[in-house]
Amino acid sequence: MSKYIIKRLLIMIPTLMLITMIVFGIMCLTPSSPGRVILGEKADQAAVDELNQRLGVNDPFLIRYFNYLKGILKGDLGNSYRSNRPVRDDILLRLPNTLILTTAAIGLALLIGIPIGVLSAVKQYSVYDMLGTTFAMFMASVPTFWLSLMAIVLFSLKLKWLPSNGLDSFRHFILPTVTLALGAAASLVRLTRTTMLETIRQDYIRTAYSKGQSPGIIIFRHALNNALLPVITSAGMQFGGIMGSAVVLEQVFAINGIGTMITEAIRMKDIPQAMGCSLVLSFLFMVIMLAVDLLYAFIDPRVKARYVKG
Amino acid sequence: MTQNSAPAENLLEVRDLKVVYKTDEAVVFAVNGLSFSLAPGETIGLVGETGAGKTTTALSILRLLPERTARIEAGEIFFKGEDLLKKNQQEIRKVRGQGISMIFQDPMTSLNPIMTVGQQIYESLEIDNRNNGGKKTREELEARVDELLSLVGIQARRKNEYPNQFSGGMKQRVVIAIALACNPSLIIADEPTTALDVTIQAQVLALMSVLKNKTGTSLILITHDLGVVAQICDKVCVMYAGEIIESGTVEEVFEGERKHPYTQGLFGSIPDLETETERLNPIEGLMPDPTDLPAGCKFHPRCKFSMPVCQTQSPAYAREGSHQIACHLFHPAKKEESPWSLC
Amino acid sequence: MNYAKIQEAFPQTTEYKKKSQLPEMWRRLKKNKTAMLGLAIIVIILLAAIFADLIVPYSLAVEQNPSARLKGPSSEHWFGTDAYGRDIFARIIHGARFSLLTGIAAVVVGFILGGVLGAAAGYYGGIADSVIMRILDTIMCIPFLVLALAIVAALGTGLVNVLLALMLSSVPTYARIVRSAILTVVDQDFIEAARACGTPNSVIIFKHVMPNAIGPIIVQTTMSVGMMIKDAAAMSFLGMGIQPPSPEWGAMLSEGKSYMMYAAHIVVIPGLAIAVTALALNLMGDGLRDVLDPRLKD
Repeated sequence: MSKYIIKRLLIMIPTLMLITMIVFGIMCLTPSSPGRVILGEKADQAAVDELNQRLGVNDPFLIRYFNYLKGILKGDLGNSYRSNRPVRDDILLRLPNTLILTTAAIGLALLIGIPIGVLSAVKQYSVYDMLGTTFAMFMASVPTFWLSLMAIVLFSLKLKWLPSNGLDSFRHFILPTVTLALGAAASLVRLTRTTMLETIRQDYIRTAYSKGQSPGIIIFRHALNNALLPVITSAGMQFGGIMGSAVVLEQVFAINGIGTMITEAIRMKDIPQAMGCSLVLSFLFMVIMLAVDLLYAFIDPRVKARYVKG
Repeated sequence: MTQNSAPAENLLEVRDLKVVYKTDEAVVFAVNGLSFSLAPGETIGLVGETGAGKTTTALSILRLLPERTARIEAGEIFFKGEDLLKKNQQEIRKVRGQGISMIFQDPMTSLNPIMTVGQQIYESLEIDNRNNGGKKTREELEARVDELLSLVGIQARRKNEYPNQFSGGMKQRVVIAIALACNPSLIIADEPTTALDVTIQAQVLALMSVLKNKTGTSLILITHDLGVVAQICDKVCVMYAGEIIESGTVEEVFEGERKHPYTQGLFGSIPDLETETERLNPIEGLMPDPTDLPAGCKFHPRCKFSMPVCQTQSPAYAREGSHQIACHLFHPAKKEESPWSLC
Repeated sequence: MNYAKIQEAFPQTTEYKKKSQLPEMWRRLKKNKTAMLGLAIIVIILLAAIFADLIVPYSLAVEQNPSARLKGPSSEHWFGTDAYGRDIFARIIHGARFSLLTGIAAVVVGFILGGVLGAAAGYYGGIADSVIMRILDTIMCIPFLVLALAIVAALGTGLVNVLLALMLSSVPTYARIVRSAILTVVDQDFIEAARACGTPNSVIIFKHVMPNAIGPIIVQTTMSVGMMIKDAAAMSFLGMGIQPPSPEWGAMLSEGKSYMMYAAHIVVIPGLAIAVTALALNLMGDGLRDVLDPRLKD
């Protein structure tokens, strides 16, 4: 098992490098002048040019890339063009907010989505199935940020039950987390339903019935455990979507997290900040995917067998 | 077409079973008035081509048919004197695994891939224990798992391995172990060796034969392989289009002079190692469309000996001892038309 | 070409297959009422987008009218007016063009590009396969919106760059679909046979392998367009996409956000438009999937 983990970690490295290359590459396409951004609109062009030269803007791509890579390995993500503070510090400050939000959201999504999916599958074509599927359809179609706007209108403005700005208390978490969760829950419902439907039709389920096992145990011990395998993988991938939506939601709810950081950075053409955030989010996503893969291998002996033996 | 035997003696008695499948498009008449019986310790072979309704019959006994599409329209299935079709869900669950257990066709898919084989055998024992008041301890049940594995020729220490670590033949042995776990009175084996290699087939059959003799379990063996029937069955029923068209002891059906034309075709189509022939002798035609069965005798469109009455009237059984043939050829009333002598 | 000769000898085969399947599938699709509803909605929206100018003049959608600001729905302004007094109904109708255009273009280009890459990866296998899939997997590792934002940051805002970002994110998915379709088929004997006859690889891919992939591709496409529309709206909402005064639905939401408290309809209506469009596409996609892959029915 540990061999498998090590293998996967090793595979991750080239992917991480590729990600940095892609992000860096995109950023380099920006016809921007950091010198201008730092010194301001009114600064002297010569000063701007000199600053640009010092920052290495005119160096060839590969050299810039390697310098950046070296920095990353030392834990340095560069300094923000605007504030000149290390990007890393700002990220560490704001990352927890985003993390809590997204983790809570995915947890909630699993808690809501899987049971509804199971119910839909087990009682296929019944009222529950229709409700579950309709809910999933609806949530999958509705843009998350619009849903949160509606939620704010209803719960904050009209009913005045919940706050809509910031993350100061537990109540502040409710609206953003729930709206984030609903979108992910939708696809989990559909996926769970699909995999459960397939699993229920498998022969080994029939074997379990022939032993005289009760339907409840069959659903939960035999069917669900098998059906959840692809669902777990999908949940991991959903996390990426959640992170993306979180970026938008942080704007809506005025939350001070990585999302607002990245949008600001882009608007202000603050390259190091934008890059730093992109990298951190991507790395985070990769780690989650790796964790999910490992979990999968842990649960499904067929996958373990494939990797442990060689 | 009902049987005349004392219900109290027979372990299993199926009377006039009728099963249909209803889909959006059509109604499939899978089993059309099937009757047979089985005494304790007996092994009966249920023979027929694919689509004859053998698996449907087997699943009906344990009420494992797909709920939404299948419907048992008529009939009674007496097991130890009680009609299984009249039991409710809880009661039938008590019969499954403990009174009657089943071995399915494809061992590759019959076992849960993410549970160890030990756990899957244990599950059967656990259910039985639960139904009987939970008196046995975990150690006792685990010991029984070990015992069962040895019984089917698998080392007990392999019980923590997963199905994917076993070969096809070994998987089927595990399935057999599960089936035997609670000492059922009847085992239904649906083509247990069809999915296996020929050499493994022989092994598994031998194992089943030894075990059934040892434990005195009755066995319904569903197969399309007459050789297998000859090897381990006492009685045989030949099925066609959802009906039993011939039944009797293995000697009567295999070695008797009189056979249903279909049975004759089945035997005739087996290639003989000793005779030189140029072509195989299949039975002409195809099994009838189960949504649109022919009137009268269901075999008449393919039958060389078909008479006018075959097209309109379903034949009753003609009997000789325990040998029964559902064919107008042997029916006493038609003796003038038939080239065959009476039975 | 040998292949042509074979086709001459057996002209019926491909034609027969195509003819008999299409009407049958249409018949099955018609039975699914929700899918039909989705189809109807999409057709209506499409027509609105195409004939937008005939329904309401574009000027109405962009002309500011300070005296009629933030009015609720009325007989004069069916959907009310926004913060600048512009008629929302007109903006919705013209906005349909942007949304549909963005969604469809992104998906089509993504499909072509992704399809070619996936086909190459699956068919040629080996190193090409590993390299292509590794790069595509890496792209999938970057959360979509992050990638899109990065691209927009580098290249600027506006329709084209939004399209670029959306396309890039859909390429890996299509590549995977096409690749798996190819992988299921590529080992089969009839491919060997075709190769033995000297059929060029491209012909093999198009005539034999693609039909296999069409089903999942169609389903994926229908659903993707809905997702693309949502994502494009999200980007506009963040100010990264189509700029005002263009009447794009997401931009309308972004503008309307500040006035939510006074006139909720500014925010409700455009969002509803996005939701309904995406919903209709999803319903159709589901219906198509049932028709093309009926395994999951009874």
